[in-house]
Amino acid sequence: MARIALAIGALVAIVYPILVQVQGATYYQTVGFLVLLNAMLGLGWNVIGGWAGQFDFGPQVFFAVGAYTAALLYVKLGVDAWLGLPVAAAVAATICAVLTYPLTRLRGHYFAIATVAIWMIAQPIGSTWEYIGAAQGLFIPTKTHGNVVTSALSLQFSGRTKALGYYYAALVLFAVTLALMAWVERSKLGFYFRAVRDDQEAAEGIGIDSRLYKVIARSITAAVFGAGGVLYAFWALSVFPEQVLELNWSTLPIMATVVGGIGRLWGPVLGAFILVPIAQIMSTTLGAGPLAGRGIDLIVYGLIIVVIAAFRPTGLLSLPWSRWLRLRRPANA
Amino acid sequence: MAALLAVESSTKHFGGLLANREVSLAIEAGEIVGLIGPNGAGKTTLFNCISGSMHPESGRIVFDGTDITRARPDRICHLGVARTWQVVRAFGRMTALENVVCGALQRTNRIGEARARARELLEFTELNGKDDVPAATLTLADKKRLEIARALATRPKLLLLDEAMSGLTPMETAAAVRLVRRIHAELQVTICVVEHVMEVVMPLSHRVVVLDYGVKIADGTPQTVVRDEQVIRAYLGERRAAR
Repeated sequence: MARIALAIGALVAIVYPILVQVQGATYYQTVGFLVLLNAMLGLGWNVIGGWAGQFDFGPQVFFAVGAYTAALLYVKLGVDAWLGLPVAAAVAATICAVLTYPLTRLRGHYFAIATVAIWMIAQPIGSTWEYIGAAQGLFIPTKTHGNVVTSALSLQFSGRTKALGYYYAALVLFAVTLALMAWVERSKLGFYFRAVRDDQEAAEGIGIDSRLYKVIARSITAAVFGAGGVLYAFWALSVFPEQVLELNWSTLPIMATVVGGIGRLWGPVLGAFILVPIAQIMSTTLGAGPLAGRGIDLIVYGLIIVVIAAFRPTGLLSLPWSRWLRLRRPANA
Repeated sequence: MAALLAVESSTKHFGGLLANREVSLAIEAGEIVGLIGPNGAGKTTLFNCISGSMHPESGRIVFDGTDITRARPDRICHLGVARTWQVVRAFGRMTALENVVCGALQRTNRIGEARARARELLEFTELNGKDDVPAATLTLADKKRLEIARALATRPKLLLLDEAMSGLTPMETAAAVRLVRRIHAELQVTICVVEHVMEVVMPLSHRVVVLDYGVKIADGTPQTVVRDEQVIRAYLGERRAAR
């Protein structure tokens, strides 16, 4: 059952952009790109927030670290995006480990506040550090590519296939992240993260170094955000501080995770699939009409979160789907 | 032969309250030691100092030849000390099996191996059939058994049981006593139990250590301890003294 659903989902994800492309539209591929990017970030946040149970409100710092690292490697050294991506993820994870280790002395709200504080410190650094372009940021000059294959290999798409190319790049990164997180969930790491979340003292009592595993969890989150930052930088063809350090790079993935089901592998995926299109629909409908103003979609977000938090605090995935789906089965049983 | 665990004049304050004052205690491999005393006598504090969730201000704790006075709890577990908690600390959102798997992963990185070990221990603690039950929904007696199974999964040499039988019905208590005996006999684990219920500690323990206001006032066989004047006055009260 789950396998069939997965296969159908994968097929739709691969085929629909081509059908849309044939019709000549690019809008839906861009929406798909944003869904996949936010789903990927949500999968990353789920590690620290869902499994390890530590509220991290500053993962966008590592999104920025990833974006800047890959952009700098490309601009200063001419390193292609796909080569820069693992480096950027590793740099994000390393910086995260160094910054997070002292924070793991803090618990609960204090940990959460400290992650926000790091983000606040990152902002003036981003907007004043000359080497990384300060407030103007970095622009990523494009090379001309003879064909789609060389475009894909250097993560630079342009012209008619731009939206389609970045969509598939996002799909690949999303799929890799999903597979890695599925592995993490079932590995020793997944067990230890959840043990620390459920009871830190008891976890330490059975031999788990709680600080180490919190650092590992947040570094995995940072690596995913770093990789997401690279994808975004090469999609936007620029990196500047207000853009990559924007609060939305944490709130949207976090909301997607909570709405879909925190601590569940598919939770952030479902959440991103619901929230991102709603945001897009809101901004195209309400944004164009007499109600034009950027607050409306946020109000709707807020209402959705409130409604789900009130009726299903454990997320939409925790609804008794299996029972509902089985209800139809007695017909052929 | 050196003792498995040696606590040497361990002292611990909480503000003005003296929880443990120069407590010394030795546990030999293969013993079942009962640690008793009135409420607030410092039993749990001593457990916390041994298991590393607190550190004594002065004194020394040596386990199996290693000084663990300032060691972290996860290190101490790795060396072979496991404990349960007075107020149960099961991993509530994980299943019973997953709880025990977490313990077993202390000695292996392979999930399959950890699962197999966890199943064995759930059977050993008579929790079989409850593998997939979320720990938070287990009864108190089952949660206490689950904690014991999880602690055993770390393959301890010394098991510290902090009131593993308090709050249980007489039948559950009897079953818990049987379990402790089986752990000692079949798994060859040295055990130290903190307990309030005298009827449980006395027949179970080879040796009993009594704490009162943070000070050790007696240490001997159950028979000698129950006749000790100081113990009777401090702990068992006038009712027993009158007998």
